[in-house]
Amino acid sequence: MVRRSKENQTVFLITVGLLAWVVPGAGHLMLKEKIRSLIIFATIVLTFCIGLYVGSIAVIDPVGAKPWYLAQIMNSPMVAALGHLTASAPAKYRVFGRPNEIGQIYTSIAGLLNLLCIINAVYLAHVRGTRPAGD
Amino acid sequence: MSAGAIFVMASFTVPEQVGTNPYALLWLLPLVAAIAIVYKVTKLPTITAGSFLKDVAVLSGSIIVFVVVIALALFILTWLITG
Repeated sequence: MVRRSKENQTVFLITVGLLAWVVPGAGHLMLKEKIRSLIIFATIVLTFCIGLYVGSIAVIDPVGAKPWYLAQIMNSPMVAALGHLTASAPAKYRVFGRPNEIGQIYTSIAGLLNLLCIINAVYLAHVRGTRPAGD
Repeated sequence: MSAGAIFVMASFTVPEQVGTNPYALLWLLPLVAAIAIVYKVTKLPTITAGSFLKDVAVLSGSIIVFVVVIALALFILTWLITG
């Protein structure tokens, strides 16, 4: 393995982290962990979509449910676009009761799971980058 | 845009009906599976279908058993206080 300079290594770690955030599993794909990235992508996207299907896109509420929104946005920055959509028409997108609870829990857990994957991808990239040449 | 695509997108703008009955607790199962899958995919050094599925099943079962134990403990505590 070719060792990177310290600056290149930092850029590489940031790139892996950002990619893993933008598309779940992309960080692992960059590290040539194809099976892991496929499983991560399928699981997180499916969990997030189940949450949206049960509770509708109204469960993404950057105004009335900020703590949940912080977890949800860990799925991808694209969640911010959905948040902007629901915040711009709060009367159109509304959800209450059990569907709201289930939708928020599913989408937030999906976000927190992606955060775990982001941290794991950056850690793997760091460990591989600091490994002595020849390993 | 095709009618099918519009139908799929529209289904994400209206919430589903979820009753407050005991069957609603089954929504726990897919979430537990997702947590177990992602946790194990980040922890296992190598992923082979057999060992991965076995580890995911063991972790999912452990979480469900723990949730049931906590629910029973809370039920007994409530019964002792109010009963």
